[in-house]
Amino acid sequence: MKSAKFDHQRTSSLEDALAALGGADGEARIMGGGQSLGPMMNLRLAQPDLLIDISRVSGLDGVEETAGTIRIGARVTHARIEDGEVPGVTGAYMRTVASGISYRSVRNRGTIGGSVAHADPSADWPSALLALGGGVVIAGQDGERRTSFDGFQTGPFATGIGYQEILTGVELPTLGADAKWGYYKVNRKPGEFADAIGAIVIGAEPRAVCGATESAPFRVPAIEEKLAGGVTELSISDARDMISAHDPGFDDYELQIHAVALSRAVGRAFA
Amino acid sequence: MADGGAADGQGIGARVLRKEDARHLAGRGKFTSDFRRPGQQEMAFVRSPVAHARLKSITKPAGHEAAVFTATDMPDMLPMRAPSRLPGYKAADYPALATEKVRFVGEPVAVCVADTRAEAEDIAQAVQVEYDELPAVVDMLAAKADDAPQIHEEWDDNLVMETFADDDFGKIADRATVVVKREYRMARQAMNPMEGKAVFAEWDDRADQLVMWTSTQVPHLIRTGLAEFLGLEQRQVRVIAPDVGGGFGCKALLQPEEVVAGWMTRHLEAPVRWIEDRREHLVTGANCREHHYHITMHATPEGRILGLDCDVTVDAGAYSVYPFTNGLEGAMAHGNLPGPYDLEVYRCRTQTMTTNKPPLMPYRGVARPGVCYAVEMTLDALAREIGVEAHKIRAMSMIKESALPFMSIAKKHFDSGNYAKSVEMVVDMIGLDEIRAAQNTPASDGRLTGVGMGSYVEQTAHGTSVFASWGVAMVPGYEQATVRLTPDGGLELRIGVQSHGQGMETSMAQMANEVLGIDPAKVTVTHGDTGLTPYSTGTYASRSMVMAGGATARACRVLAERMEIIGAHLLQCERAEVSVRGGKVVSGKGDVSFAEIGRVWYLNPDELPDDVDQGGVEVTMGYRPEPDSGAFTYASHACKVAVDIDTGAVEVLDYAIVEDCGTMVNPMIVEGQTYGGATQGIGTALLEESPYDAFGNPGASTFADYMMPGATDAPHFRIDHMESPSPFTEYGIKGMGEGGTIPTPAAIGNAINDALKSIGAEVNETPFTPRRVRAAIEAALKNRQGEAA
Amino acid sequence: MTELTLKINGEDVTANVEPRLSLADFIRDHRRLTGTHLGCEHGVCGACTVLMNGEPIRSCITFAVVADGTEITTIEGFDDDEPMAQMRQAFHENHALQCGYCTPGMLVAARDIVTRLPDADEARVRLELAGNLCRCTGYVGIVNAILEVLEKRRS
Repeated sequence: MKSAKFDHQRTSSLEDALAALGGADGEARIMGGGQSLGPMMNLRLAQPDLLIDISRVSGLDGVEETAGTIRIGARVTHARIEDGEVPGVTGAYMRTVASGISYRSVRNRGTIGGSVAHADPSADWPSALLALGGGVVIAGQDGERRTSFDGFQTGPFATGIGYQEILTGVELPTLGADAKWGYYKVNRKPGEFADAIGAIVIGAEPRAVCGATESAPFRVPAIEEKLAGGVTELSISDARDMISAHDPGFDDYELQIHAVALSRAVGRAFA
Repeated sequence: MADGGAADGQGIGARVLRKEDARHLAGRGKFTSDFRRPGQQEMAFVRSPVAHARLKSITKPAGHEAAVFTATDMPDMLPMRAPSRLPGYKAADYPALATEKVRFVGEPVAVCVADTRAEAEDIAQAVQVEYDELPAVVDMLAAKADDAPQIHEEWDDNLVMETFADDDFGKIADRATVVVKREYRMARQAMNPMEGKAVFAEWDDRADQLVMWTSTQVPHLIRTGLAEFLGLEQRQVRVIAPDVGGGFGCKALLQPEEVVAGWMTRHLEAPVRWIEDRREHLVTGANCREHHYHITMHATPEGRILGLDCDVTVDAGAYSVYPFTNGLEGAMAHGNLPGPYDLEVYRCRTQTMTTNKPPLMPYRGVARPGVCYAVEMTLDALAREIGVEAHKIRAMSMIKESALPFMSIAKKHFDSGNYAKSVEMVVDMIGLDEIRAAQNTPASDGRLTGVGMGSYVEQTAHGTSVFASWGVAMVPGYEQATVRLTPDGGLELRIGVQSHGQGMETSMAQMANEVLGIDPAKVTVTHGDTGLTPYSTGTYASRSMVMAGGATARACRVLAERMEIIGAHLLQCERAEVSVRGGKVVSGKGDVSFAEIGRVWYLNPDELPDDVDQGGVEVTMGYRPEPDSGAFTYASHACKVAVDIDTGAVEVLDYAIVEDCGTMVNPMIVEGQTYGGATQGIGTALLEESPYDAFGNPGASTFADYMMPGATDAPHFRIDHMESPSPFTEYGIKGMGEGGTIPTPAAIGNAINDALKSIGAEVNETPFTPRRVRAAIEAALKNRQGEAA
Repeated sequence: MTELTLKINGEDVTANVEPRLSLADFIRDHRRLTGTHLGCEHGVCGACTVLMNGEPIRSCITFAVVADGTEITTIEGFDDDEPMAQMRQAFHENHALQCGYCTPGMLVAARDIVTRLPDADEARVRLELAGNLCRCTGYVGIVNAILEVLEKRRS
C-alpha cells in the first residue's frame, strides 16, 4: 500500500504556509503529525497533490495559561498532553482523554490541531473539547479569527476551517478546583477509535456531549439541564430517551452504547 | 548404541532457549522482503472489485502497456488444479490470473511491474477493467438453493462436496431421553500472520532453474506445483523459504502470486518481487473458519451423551486451493466432530459449498475449532437443561483411559491419554467451586461472571494412509532427514519441514542431542530450501516434531553406528566396547571426540579402519510411525469471563489449560505454541470477523475494522501438562502446534452463556461481539417478558 | 525529489527521495536496514516502530522527508544501549518471540515502557503494548520479559 505521488513543501512560517495553501494547484493539505493522513494516503483514500509541511513553523507548539484560558498550539502532540504539560484540572481531564488515543507511538506524532482539523467522527478531541468548551484559533489571509467548538464540526471530516485557512491552536477554559468531569469511551480494544463517547464537564456550566456518532458530536441539553439541577446520576434508560430526541440515526445497539457512555461519564464525574 | 543426551540436560524434555532468537532480537532475521537484487522489478496486482462477474475487457494504460500482463499474455501459465479422490468432490480450477470470470473480490486480474511498488501501484490504478456483474452467492446456506446463482457454470449446483454417514437413533431412544438441539455459526476470518505472503523470484542460468524465495510452510509442495503449472521439469525449480513470519496454514498452499512471479521472472529476464500488503491479506485472505451447524445431542437424564446428529455446512469460497483442496475441511469436520466422546450413535452430513469469497484455506486447527465449538457449547446447554455441571457430563461421556487404544465411531484410532483427567485438573485449576460461590453475589461493577470449558482430541502427524484415502495431490510418505558430521565435529541436520515460529532450529537440535549427546549449539539445522533438503510435504497438521524429529532420530542413530566403527578403531578396542554418548565415542579405555572422528574421515582417511562404512559420516534416513493414522493429543481449557450486560462487552479474567501432547521435546516451545494458539482462539471467539455485504463486498479491509487480539485481550494464561506418550512414535512424541486454537471459542462461549444463564440468554455466533451478546440478552429479556405477560 | 538529511543510528545520511517514500521504506530499501518490518502500513500493528529523537514512532505512516533533521534509531542501532540489552536477554529467557517478525518493533516499544514507566504493573504493561501485535506468542513471554526488566531496573 504505497501512497500516490504528491509534492511536498517545507514552510518555515505561517505566512509561507498560507501562501502555499493559497497558491496550490489542485488539492493541498496541511501535514500535522501525519497519523491520520498517513494511513489514508497509504490506502490511497486520500490523494492530495501537495502536502504542506508545517513542522518548522514556530509559534504552534506552546502551552500557555493566561487569565482563565489555556492556549495550546496546534502542533502539541497527544503524548505531551498525556505527560501532563497542560496544567490544572483542565490538564487532568486532557491527560485522561489523551492517554486513550491510539498508541504511544502514534501519540508521539499525532497533534491536537491535526485531530481537531481532521474531524474524524470517532476521534477523541472533537468530542472531548466540545464538552470542555472554548474554541479554535484559525489563521487566514486576513489574520487570525476565533470560533467556538459549538458548531465548529459540521459533519464527518467537516469543519468550519476554510480552504485557505490553517488551524493554529485551541483555547480552553481553565477549570476551577471544584469542577467535575467524566469521560467514557466504548471501544473494542484500547486505543481503537470509539464506538461511543460520553463526555461530561461541569465547569462554569454543565456540558454533556454525545460523541462518536458517525457525524459531528453533539451536546445534549436535556442532560445538561439535569446536571444543572443537581443530579449526580444518569440512568441508561434516561440517557437513551435524551439522546433519541436528537434523532441521531442510531440503531438500537448504537443508541444503547451511547447511552451507556453518557451514563458512565456522569458516574465518573461524581465518583 | 547411542544414548546421548540425558547427561547434559539439553535433549528431550529440556527447556532449551532458542538458537534462532539471536538474529531476530538483533533485527537480523532474513525474511523474503529483505532480499534485494540489482534490477529487481516490483509487482502490483489489479484485483477484482466485484464478487462475481464476467471479465469483459482489460485496457492497459497508454504508455505502460509493456508493464501490464493478463492471462491472455500468459497462455503457458496453467490454472492451479487440486485433485482429490474424496467421493463427490468437484474440482474448481483456480486461475492465477482471471480468465473469463471473476469469482471473489480481490481475485487477481492483471499484474503490473515497475522499479518500485509505488510505481507499479500507479500503473495498476490506471488499468481499466470492464466487468459484467452477476449476482453474487454470499451466504453458504443460500448457496444451496435451487435458484442460487451458479459460480461454476459447468456444475449443476454450488456443492463442492458432501459427506454423509447415517445411523440409527432408535438404538438409544429409550435411554437417551434428553434431546438438545442447537444452531451455531462461526464467522469467516483471515489468518493474519504478521508477515504477509512474499515472493522473490529469479532465473538462475547456471543451474537452469527458477529460484523462488517465498514465505511458505511447504517449499517442496510449492516446487511441485510451480513446475506443474509453469510447464517446467521439477529439477528446474528451486524453492527457498528463508525466515517466515508466521504461517498458520495460509502459507501451506500454492498462491496465484507465486505462479505469476515464476512466469514473470522468466519472461522479463529480471528478478521480480511481490510483497503482500495488509489490505491484500485482509481482502484475499478472508478464507477460513466459516462454518454453520445444526446439531442435536442425545443424552441420558444423568448426562451421559450417547448420540450426536449434525448437519455441517462449510463455506469453501470460490476455488479449490493446491494441494490440500477446499474439500478437506468438510471431511475433517465429519471425522472430528465426535471428539473424545464415547458415542453409540453418530450421524453427520457435511456440505461444502462454493461461494463468491476467497478460496478456503486450512487455518490452524482447520475444522476442529468449529466442531469442538458446536459440540462443547451444546454439551453445556445440556448441562444447564438437566442441572448437572458440564464437567461431570464430559467426564462421564469421554472415552476412558482404560479403553485406549480405541477406534472411535468416526474411525479415528485414539492412541493414549486420560481425557477425563484433563477435565478434572482444569476444573480445579480454574477454581470452579470458588467461581460458583462468588456468582451468587453481584460484582461491584455490575458485570456477570461465568465459567466455561472446552475439551478436544486432536489428530496430529497423520501420514500416508490418511492422506492417500483423501486422494489429494500431496501425500506425506516416509519423512526424511539428513545428518552430516563436519570436519570439526559439528553436525549439519537437513529436514524438509519448515519452521515459521515453532523453533525447529532448537527442537531438532535437541533431538540430535538426545541421540548423540552433541551440544545443540553445535548443530546447524537447515530447512526450507528444496535444493538443500530432503523432500517433505512440509509443516502443517502438527506433524513436524513427530515426523522430522523421528527421521532425525533415525538418521542420528545410523550416524552413531558409523562413528562407533571409526571410534573403536581409534581407541583400539572392539566395536562392542564402544558407544556414542555425550558428543563422543566412549569406551572403558577412553574416548574420542566427534571432532576427531571428523578429522579422520575428512582430512586423514589413511587412519580409517578397513571395515569403515563407506557411506561416510552423512546419513539420510526415513521415518513414519506405524500405524500412521495419527498421534492423538488432547487438552481441556477452562476460562472465567466477566460480561458487561449493558454493553455486551466480554473480558477474559482467567484462563487455564491442561494439555497432553505425549512426550514434550521442549516444554517452553509447547507452552508458547499453546498460548499463541489460544490467543488466536480468543480472536475467533471475541474479535475476528471478515463480513460481507449482499453483493460480496468485504467489510474488513484494514486493522481499523478487523480486530486482532492484543496484549489486553489475551489473559495471563495458566498451564499444566500431562504426558501420555504415544505408543507408536519415536520417544512417544505427539504433535501439538494447532491444539491451542481448538477449544477456545467453546470455552469462552460456554463461559458467556454461563454468565448469562440467569437471564436465559445464549450466544451462538462467533465472534461473540458486544453487539451479539447484547442482542442475545435483549432477546432473552423480551422472551421473559413475553412469558410473564 | 526532495533532499533529506538526518541521522540514522548515529550516522549522518543525506539522500534525494520522492516525498511519498515512507521512512520505513527508506530505512529498509535505501539504507538496507531490514530489521524494521512492515506489517500493515497503516500504523496499527507496530512492526515498523523506530525511535525518532528518542521517542517511538510509526515509520510506516511517516514520510521520510518529514524525518529531515531528526535522529532515527532502528533496531540495529541499540548495540550499546543497556535497557535494550536487558530487554533482549529477557525476551530470550522468557520465550518472547517465535517467528521474530514483530520482534524489532516489540523491542523498541518494550524498551520505551521500561524507560518511561518504571512503575508500570502488568495491567499497564499490557495496555502500553496494545499498539504492537504479535500473532505467535499470545504475549505471555513478552509481558513476563518486560515485567522482569522493570523489576530488575527497580532494584
